[in-house]
Amino acid sequence: MSGRLLRLAWRNLWRNPRRTLIAMAAIGLGYAMLLFVACLMAGLRQQMIETGTDLLLSDVEVQAPGYYPERPIDQTLGGPNGTDVSALVATIAANPRVQAASPRVYGYGLVSAAHQSAGVQLLGVVPDQEPKITVLQTRMVKGSYLTGQMPKGIVMGDKLAATIGVEVGSEIVLLTTAADGSMGNDRYTVVGMFHTGLDAMDQGLVLMPLTSLQDLLRLPPGRIHEVGIKLHDHAAATTAAALEVQLSKDLPVQVHAWPELAPDLAGYVQFNRRITFILFFIFFLLAVMGIVNTMLMAIIERTHEFGMLMAVGMRPAQVVGLIVAEAASLAGASLVLGAVLGVPLLWYLQVHGLNVGGDRGAVSLAGVVVGPNWYGRQDFTAYAQAALGLAIAALVSALYPALRAARFRPTEALRKV
Amino acid sequence: MRWPKGGVAICLGLLWLSLGLVSRAANDQQAREIVDRVARLFISQSSSATVDMQITKEDSQRKILMQFWSLGGSNILVRIRSPQEDAGTAILKVGNQTWCYLPKANRTVKMPASMLMTPWMGSDFTLNDLVKESSLTNDYVIATTFEGKRDGVEVTEYTLTPGRAAVVVWGKITLEIRQADQMPVRQRYYDEDGKLVRELSFSDYRTMSGRLIPTCLVMQSMDKGGKKAVEQTTITYENIVFDEPISDDTFSRRNLKP
Repeated sequence: MSGRLLRLAWRNLWRNPRRTLIAMAAIGLGYAMLLFVACLMAGLRQQMIETGTDLLLSDVEVQAPGYYPERPIDQTLGGPNGTDVSALVATIAANPRVQAASPRVYGYGLVSAAHQSAGVQLLGVVPDQEPKITVLQTRMVKGSYLTGQMPKGIVMGDKLAATIGVEVGSEIVLLTTAADGSMGNDRYTVVGMFHTGLDAMDQGLVLMPLTSLQDLLRLPPGRIHEVGIKLHDHAAATTAAALEVQLSKDLPVQVHAWPELAPDLAGYVQFNRRITFILFFIFFLLAVMGIVNTMLMAIIERTHEFGMLMAVGMRPAQVVGLIVAEAASLAGASLVLGAVLGVPLLWYLQVHGLNVGGDRGAVSLAGVVVGPNWYGRQDFTAYAQAALGLAIAALVSALYPALRAARFRPTEALRKV
Repeated sequence: MRWPKGGVAICLGLLWLSLGLVSRAANDQQAREIVDRVARLFISQSSSATVDMQITKEDSQRKILMQFWSLGGSNILVRIRSPQEDAGTAILKVGNQTWCYLPKANRTVKMPASMLMTPWMGSDFTLNDLVKESSLTNDYVIATTFEGKRDGVEVTEYTLTPGRAAVVVWGKITLEIRQADQMPVRQRYYDEDGKLVRELSFSDYRTMSGRLIPTCLVMQSMDKGGKKAVEQTTITYENIVFDEPISDDTFSRRNLKP
């Protein structure tokens, strides 16, 4: 029976191809639009997380308890005696969810050129390890990244370099309060400049080899402030918790996932999700209105036909079943159409992106660098939700006219044209 | 005939107010003179001093030996003698500009004003505390808030609150002065919320170069709970010489290198 109903429904749909195609276009275009929005917003979220974590932060940071957020210089991993750094890094890197790990040392100081000085954050990294967890080496605009061969080489942001008036090859002096309270100071050479688009980094960060910063701060080689970790995915919270349990057996540690380290960023991501939901809802309403309209019209047009069917003995329940079956097949066909239209669009967004930056290059938006191209990213959960939502909307909007049609008295229905 | 009555009342009120103002002004003037004298205890046309700074932390102690030269209040040179790792470091302040000579880098760098307001070399003093001429009487309004015995000594306590236009760090400063010889006993610094932030105590009053001065100053910062923290910094004057001629050349950038 139901097979016959479906066949009948399908045949009914194509008895008036123009009407059906109009309905299909309404649903299919609505669906393609939702795919487009979901893909762009997921891409923005991804870009937010990546610029936030991959430039400097990394996904997860292992530190001594109480080190974060003040980052006092004497609170190193393992306390005043330090720890076996290479063993610690190896233990962390052995975790299957960890892609790479690298030790770091932090300090604050004064960078001073011939005529100008500026307060900066000093970050000591291992030159051939750090690029495995962050991507700053891809943002060099002048000179080159740190190398192990140049222990007195440093890199800084381009805006900082302009502020204090230095070029690649210039000599600068770093002055800081060392761990023992003395005035750590030494001369270094600028080997490169980076530009990230984030003022906090371009204006206030000096990157140098880990051992050089340890020297400057009078920290022995076993004393580091943190191990930065790159994960295979960005689901950092659970890995952080597991790592903390695992590492705490040998060493008092506190492990922070990026949402804790960058609450602003986590906030933006949350905000983005909410905006996506609202946009989604608006596009969804537009699509639903199109569907309701076409379905309603299609059924009211066919009052005469339903009267006829009931006059020849079709029961009201069967009429409802028929209309719902028609709506379901229409929704199914439309979603396929929407997907066919949408997939090239999604592919384009992921591969080429939308150019939003124009000639100005990247745009910094609330602490997040976007562009010049805004790339999309596939969000299959959202695609499935949109499909389900539209299908349900199509069925529900068919149900009302179907129930109305089922209540027709055949004689009256037949009299209508 | 109603307004003259009111007029008389207002006149009387004004008279009373102005009398009050006059007597307060007299009081203020005296307090101001005393506070000013205390603020200038170590200041002279010229001075040179050897100072020992001891920094006590929870797990460490550090002792720094420094020499100071000052001329005319605005020229100041500080040279660090020991410990080894900082020996030779020198700080020069001429007018509003400060330079620092770093022996390890063998460079002289200009210090930004912000650097002068952060704790210096892990001590409880800022560089400003050490090299800036006190402007207590210019920036603050002074009131006498206590007179009597404290810890067995007759003292007068003055409370200094910032004047309206003053750009200052502290919300309030109290200064306790011994009545017997008008030597400072204790100075307390409060933040804008009225919370005690740090306390400076004076002791070991001695006559050096013809002047009675407290030769031991202990600065104690308060921890977050408002209690005295373990960390403290003691400054001891080993000697100080006032008003001996110092050449202008002493305060030149050339002279920063030892």
